Amino acid sequence: MNAQLEATPEPGAHPLAGTPMTGADIVVQVLADEGVGVVFGYSGGAILPVYDAVFRFNHEHPNADGSEPLPLIVPANEQGAGFMAQGYARASGKVGVALVTSGPGATNTVTPVRDAMADSIPIVVICGQVPTAAIGTDAFQEAPISNIMASCAKHVFLVTDAAQLEATLRTAFEIARTGRPGPVVIDIPKDVQNAPLVFAGEGQLAIPGYRARLRAIEDAELDEAACARFVDALAQAKRPLLYVGGGVVAAEATAALRTFAQALGIPVTTTLMGLGAADTTEALSLHMLGMHGTAFANYAVEDCDFVIAVGARFDDRVAGVPSQFAAGARFIAHLDVDPAEIHKVKRVDWHHLGDLSRALDALRRHAAARGFDPSGVGTWSDWHAHLADLKHTYAMAYDRANPRIQPYAVIEAINRLTRGEVIVSTGVGQHQMWAAQYFDFTQPRRWLTSGSMGTMGFGLPAAIGAQFARRDLLVVDIDGDASIRMNLGELETVTTYGLPVKVVVLNNCGDGMVRQWQKLFFKGRFSATDKSLHKKDFIKAAQADGFEYAVRLDRPEDVDRVVAEFIAFPGPAFLEVMIDPDAGVYPMVGPGMTYGQMITGDHIPSRAPAPAKEAGPSEMF
Amino acid sequence: MRHIIAILMQNEAGALARVAGMFSARGYNIESLTVATTHDPSISRLTLVTTGDDAVIAQIINQSRKLVDVLEIADLTSREHLESELLIVKVASTPETSTRIADFTHRRYGITLDETPSTRTLQFTGRGAHISGVLDDLAAFAPVLELARSGTAALDRGDLVLALQD
Ligand SMILES: Cc1ncc(C[n+]2csc(CCOP(=O)(O)OP(=O)(O)O)c2C)c(N)n1
Ligand SMILES: [Mg+2]
Repeated sequence: MNAQLEATPEPGAHPLAGTPMTGADIVVQVLADEGVGVVFGYSGGAILPVYDAVFRFNHEHPNADGSEPLPLIVPANEQGAGFMAQGYARASGKVGVALVTSGPGATNTVTPVRDAMADSIPIVVICGQVPTAAIGTDAFQEAPISNIMASCAKHVFLVTDAAQLEATLRTAFEIARTGRPGPVVIDIPKDVQNAPLVFAGEGQLAIPGYRARLRAIEDAELDEAACARFVDALAQAKRPLLYVGGGVVAAEATAALRTFAQALGIPVTTTLMGLGAADTTEALSLHMLGMHGTAFANYAVEDCDFVIAVGARFDDRVAGVPSQFAAGARFIAHLDVDPAEIHKVKRVDWHHLGDLSRALDALRRHAAARGFDPSGVGTWSDWHAHLADLKHTYAMAYDRANPRIQPYAVIEAINRLTRGEVIVSTGVGQHQMWAAQYFDFTQPRRWLTSGSMGTMGFGLPAAIGAQFARRDLLVVDIDGDASIRMNLGELETVTTYGLPVKVVVLNNCGDGMVRQWQKLFFKGRFSATDKSLHKKDFIKAAQADGFEYAVRLDRPEDVDRVVAEFIAFPGPAFLEVMIDPDAGVYPMVGPGMTYGQMITGDHIPSRAPAPAKEAGPSEMF
Repeated sequence: MRHIIAILMQNEAGALARVAGMFSARGYNIESLTVATTHDPSISRLTLVTTGDDAVIAQIINQSRKLVDVLEIADLTSREHLESELLIVKVASTPETSTRIADFTHRRYGITLDETPSTRTLQFTGRGAHISGVLDDLAAFAPVLELARSGTAALDRGDLVLALQD
């Protein structure tokens, strides 16, 4: 910062309060104040003042070890910056930041912004905009970002009054991280970046409606009567089940959830977004439920008589047929922070809106005070025995004798070496589901996947962002040959910044997941999903982008050895695995099907014969 | 079913578009929309009329309540409420019809805003159905040249007041 302290600030005030600064300097100072440790972004005309301010800030405030306090990480494409910010946010729980120019720079972030909204991930995207006077004139690199983003983001600000800039920035971080987290976009015209201002060091915008609703939820406590109704109903239950979603990860409620589940002896199944909320290696953990959930988890949903949904929203990948989801449950309880999710898909019998940890603790204490003892004589021992039996009988399985490399075996091999001590990111497709199914998840924020939007191209940039958040942890991107193509330019970003990210491409020569649906629902007409004649040499591509370790694995007998050397490689490493292109994702609860009609494939037993009818594909998704 | 939704929101650029977008994104047509600043200049009140599935509309309301700019939102349909609308209409007037137009306007509690040798511009207020009836009756003897309707504005009847819950 070029500005000097002018006056002695009030005690407790920001040390720079009262300092003259440009709008751009204020942007950087608020980022620093918000604890932002890294910014992902791409420069351009309309954001140049802020880029210059970052440069000066880093030059004038080096860390003790000489490193930059606010490193700018430059992707190949702004979509990459958005997903890096997301990877950072998902792995750390902190707000991720992307900084891009106007027009094409900003529109390139629409996909990661929408993706962050759909998965409730806190990011702030700062966009340059053409000068205020030029807005609406079809100026060079102008796009109506506040309009475009308004329908994608949790909130968007267009700063037309420079005096509001500082408060707007702080408020953006507040909105991103509070309540149900999400993306906030700030569009800053270039003249506002250049405006001569005075830094206040404090102040937010008035957002009375938002804050009042937030406070009501944050302050909400479960009263005795509500606890009693819950515990009364639970005491009647013979087969209770916790259905846990990404909200538990977002709310940092993993510890409370695990204590609750353990104390009451209630088994847990999680959604794709909830993986890591429960330790999947524990006896009462059923791993993932839903469209590609484990057979034992889905059968447990069929068999349970009491559901406790925590930070989960009965979405169509879990409750494809809402009326049939957990149809045997006589009582469904729902805990969340978003009032709009209660009764949205499925009517529930009991709900609480508020802090998840406090609510779970209150319920647990109430149960304990009433002498509730799940391990007591016979309480749920039949249910526990039944689940142990389900886990044994309907365990995940695949063709181990197949002469081609099975993708499941590759993930198992990586998992044997990592055992939860790894951050896994993914693209979207079969490889994503295999990773979800075959990795152990022992801790939250170690599973980064585009759940709701299902955005191909997420895996590589998310891994990069995550590595910046967690320098201490191994980061592995399990990607698909089609997904990785979407943001392949970010391979070079990995080596540019010397990140020891491990990139795995499970190459089945095409859009495997789409082929699976074409096989099931379109009589095997593989319209536009086969890439076996494509020419890309992934190894050469990785080498060209500076990967010293770039290996193609195509013999099953080499899997363990090569995976071991790949994971042990100290720097960026790339592994392409030529997998069986016919490998499928099972179990599968097809669209419009109930859990009872789940297809378990050739290697996992099924409780019911697979339905013979071919699904009518038109309305299915 | 027809729904009348009242929304208090911060008087910010973009706020109106965001609320309207919640309906248009689902293909819901907005039949009428009135918006103006309230007695607190930082707050606007919006009355939106739409027709659609009750459950979907309830969901749109729940999701609109999450918009940062929204202070309060309520579906007035199922509560006792008052509705009013304003019509400004310009009709052709001739020496033969001018007296009849004046009488009609008086009888239907309207006001003549403007007159020229060949036109009359009239204003009527009341519930939407009343306004529609007035318009039909008027058009029967005086050709309508143009008109503007404000769309429905609505308040709860009685002591109930829509305000930010604090
Ligand atoms: C951006 C984007 N475009 C299209 C899709 C639709 N889609 C879902 S999975 C998939 C195929 C992905 O192929 P690949 O990454 O190779 O994964 P695989 O299923 O083969 O493991 C496609 C095209 C999508 N999810 N995202
Ligand atoms: Mg593929």
